[in-house]
Amino acid sequence: MNFLAPWFWLGALAVAGPLIFHLVRRTTRERVPFSSLLFLRPAPPRLTRRNRLEHLLLLALRCLVLVLLAAGFARPFLHQLFPALAPEGPARRTVLLVDTSASMRRGDLWSRALARADALLRRAGPADQVAVLTFDHTVTPRVTFEQWNAAPVTERAALARAQLAAIQPGWAATHLDTALIRAAELAAEPAPAAGELARQVVVLSDLQTGSRTAALQGHEWPREVTFRFEPLPPPRASNAALHWLPESDETAPPTEGPAAVRLRVVNAPDATREQFRVGWAAAGSADFAAPPLEVYVPPGQSRVVALAPLPNAPAGAVRLTGDDEPFDNLVFVAPPQPVPLRVLYFGREAAGDPRSARFFLERAFPPTRHREVRVLALDPAQPPPAAVIEDAALAVVTVPCSPALGAALRPLLARGRAVLFVPPEAAAAASLAELVPGARLAAEERQPADYALLGELDFRHPLLAPFADPRFSDFSKIRFWRHRRLDLAGCPEARVLARFDSGDPAMVDLPAGRGRVLVWAAGWQPAESQLALATKFVPLLHSVLDLSAGPPPTAVQFSVGEPIPLPELPAAARAAAAMRGPDGAVTPLPAGATQFERTDAPGLYELVAGETVWRRAVNLAPGESRLEPLAVEELERLGVPATPASPPPALAAARQQRLLAAELENRQKLWRWCLLAALGLVALETFLAGRAARRHAMLQPVSS
Amino acid sequence: MNATAPPSPAPPAATAGRLIDPAVLMGIRHLELRARVVVEGFWSGLHRSPYHGFSVEFTEYRAYTPGDDLRYLDWRVLARSDRYYVKRFEDETNLRCHLLVDQSRSMAFGSLPYTKADYAATLAASLAWFLNLQGDAVGLLTFDARVGEYVPPRHRPGHLRRLLFVLDRPAAGRGTDLTAPLARAAELLRKRGLVVLISDFLAPLDRLQAALLELAAGGHEIVLFQILDPAESDFDFRLPAVFEDLESGRTLQLDPVAARAEYRRRLAEHDAALREMCRRLGISFTRLETRQPLELALFEFLRRRTERGRRHARVARPPGRGIAPSR
Repeated sequence: MNFLAPWFWLGALAVAGPLIFHLVRRTTRERVPFSSLLFLRPAPPRLTRRNRLEHLLLLALRCLVLVLLAAGFARPFLHQLFPALAPEGPARRTVLLVDTSASMRRGDLWSRALARADALLRRAGPADQVAVLTFDHTVTPRVTFEQWNAAPVTERAALARAQLAAIQPGWAATHLDTALIRAAELAAEPAPAAGELARQVVVLSDLQTGSRTAALQGHEWPREVTFRFEPLPPPRASNAALHWLPESDETAPPTEGPAAVRLRVVNAPDATREQFRVGWAAAGSADFAAPPLEVYVPPGQSRVVALAPLPNAPAGAVRLTGDDEPFDNLVFVAPPQPVPLRVLYFGREAAGDPRSARFFLERAFPPTRHREVRVLALDPAQPPPAAVIEDAALAVVTVPCSPALGAALRPLLARGRAVLFVPPEAAAAASLAELVPGARLAAEERQPADYALLGELDFRHPLLAPFADPRFSDFSKIRFWRHRRLDLAGCPEARVLARFDSGDPAMVDLPAGRGRVLVWAAGWQPAESQLALATKFVPLLHSVLDLSAGPPPTAVQFSVGEPIPLPELPAAARAAAAMRGPDGAVTPLPAGATQFERTDAPGLYELVAGETVWRRAVNLAPGESRLEPLAVEELERLGVPATPASPPPALAAARQQRLLAAELENRQKLWRWCLLAALGLVALETFLAGRAARRHAMLQPVSS
Repeated sequence: MNATAPPSPAPPAATAGRLIDPAVLMGIRHLELRARVVVEGFWSGLHRSPYHGFSVEFTEYRAYTPGDDLRYLDWRVLARSDRYYVKRFEDETNLRCHLLVDQSRSMAFGSLPYTKADYAATLAASLAWFLNLQGDAVGLLTFDARVGEYVPPRHRPGHLRRLLFVLDRPAAGRGTDLTAPLARAAELLRKRGLVVLISDFLAPLDRLQAALLELAAGGHEIVLFQILDPAESDFDFRLPAVFEDLESGRTLQLDPVAARAEYRRRLAEHDAALREMCRRLGISFTRLETRQPLELALFEFLRRRTERGRRHARVARPPGRGIAPSR
């Protein structure tokens, strides 16, 4: 037998009362008035056998009443008296969502997550369906519903447990919004032949504030799906984050030697430490390669420091010390490497002639930290070798395009590059057909009375889009002394980008296969216009170069999981290009690959192409360093239908036991029988005690 | 007439079937009615029809003794019962009777629905009624630790009612001291008469003897009635208890089963001593239990008086004259 409230058995100690009274009252206190004690002597009372029996019987009855009362209040019940209760509610379709982001690498978070998942899996009933997903910046299914249902009932939990045990948290960011949406969709999927199902998503995560939740707002959640968050209490630790701030100015000139590295140190609002050290990390050890900087950052604030480069060897990582969480204390740094680009110029001017277009073209591309442009002037009468054409980013033709030249440049156009064709006279316009077969471009020479101005520009075109800002869109100060009047009747695919104030096309974009031919009606040399002298000339040419070769790759830092765009590689290096990861593993790059996606771990990734090595740094997403717990209420505010978290497994099991016991006791109501028995014994005791008292009273005289 | 010795009054045993249950008797609320019932029952026991031909002047019946004037012989009783009784008239009686009734606290004890005091009062009332009917003067003296009420003996209208009134009054119930009241009674009772002492006599006898001697020295005829409760006689208690003396307040814890034999022995010794004392003093002693019918008391009273009168008649009877007054 069990008891719902066993503490009430302490009431049974009240039997001490009758026992004490029984012992105390061995000497009677009943007084009998008598006429005279003249003939009486003191004689102590003797307990006869009958008296002893009477007393013991009454004592036993009284004690038994108290015991039965205590038993009744203790709420007894029998486990075996009734069959087991039916399980509560319908079967459940549960999606178990486990966080494997970088913040889960802290302390014993991952082991606790596994333990919590194991407890949840064990509680799954035979009719329950469970799917297991892990998430960081992507959602990865580990056990599908089909796999769960296909497995034997007794092996399902072990299957899921094995899948989870084989993985570890990664280094990626926490895209909580994507994971919740995907899990809700999976839980809401119809489950045929399963009957009524309670659908829920159980989330095991540290729920840090750095989790991405932007997509949760306004999302329409499936009605029948509820979320239960099982936050994993993080270890109490003071955390500071280190972020690399690469140079963002694309036009900044290259420095002489390695530049200082700008770093931001961010201290958490709940941090207990304020003093940190930042310095270059020594390779293969936890020490600093050089004396570190002392940085003081109060809690909730940040500081930007400039770390001088190492004098002797290039270093790749900066370390932060002084906080309690080391997982985000290493930042990898990859100085920008300028991409070499070649611009081919086909013209007849002599080098150094300040009146020629070549002169201004060669000076329009100064070297920057991200791009190194070299203008290569070639003889238009001698077509360049294919290798030269292969590596060119842009071709500028300021002479009539001969068939040979056209044939030589068509591969450039086929690679998606652009050719800037500036016919020097009207007769040269027809040679456009050599670049774009079938294009018939007629032109006649125009010389305005004074000058022409650009009156209409299409800022929607990528060439002119950088000038769309009203601060930069004024081309009216550029005068054109001469220009060709282009007749585009024979070029139906041409797109006019700019017109003179007379209405004649000034710039035309003509598709040529994958590339394009930009036709300008006037040159930029001083004899024809003031364009070369205008402030817009250099950015205009850079825009032409970006249109042809793509914008310069300014990003040198990426987050874990973010693909690294690959630069244009020379044809010779392209075939043997490979990416070397932080762990030293080399991954060959397929031909035509434009990005590298396997950035699973932070570190320096090196693109090796021939003798050229481009380095890119992959670091933790900044949000992973924001470790303050995210309240479930905040998620509810964003519209997530959350339910309260379940208690720890032991507590939940104990609560379930108590509920079962309470239900059994409520059905059996054995306390009623205890009270009835107690009442019966009270009646019996009253009867026996009364009979004994009456017998005693009959022997007592009546005195008035 | 050859007078043969008249038979003594029928012993109580012969008339027990017609005696009144004391419990029933004591249920009668009025003392006067109780006394009348007792006396009439007593007469009925004697004559079966006490009122038939009974004259108010006729106050005494006594057994015929040789030498009595046959003019007073009750021929009807002789015809009915073959018993010889002579009638005495009021003017032939000059008995003076004093009833001394103990009203101490010990008399308030009773294991029956009525106490010894109730029984004693009824007895005294019955005797007063009886003697008054015979034309005797009856007086009353109640006492406990001291004399309570004293009513001188008279025989006049209303006197009996006064006696009954005093007897019916609830007593103060103080402690018992026979010596002082009896000494006082000896002072009050100047003229000789009959003294009927009604008490439980649960007191040391040495002092009682002295008091009785003083009374007897006054020439009084003394009759003792000891009233005891059945519980006092038998001590049939069963459960251990603390016994409390009603008069002194003293308590005694005892097991009555264990103390019973000793109690009875000592009570018997006391009773024997009391009887012996009475015998030596020539005092008539009668022990009554409150469960015994009161008619028996009257029978006993009358029998003893008859025996005493017979002795006196043999010793000093004037020839040819009527019955000498009996003492």
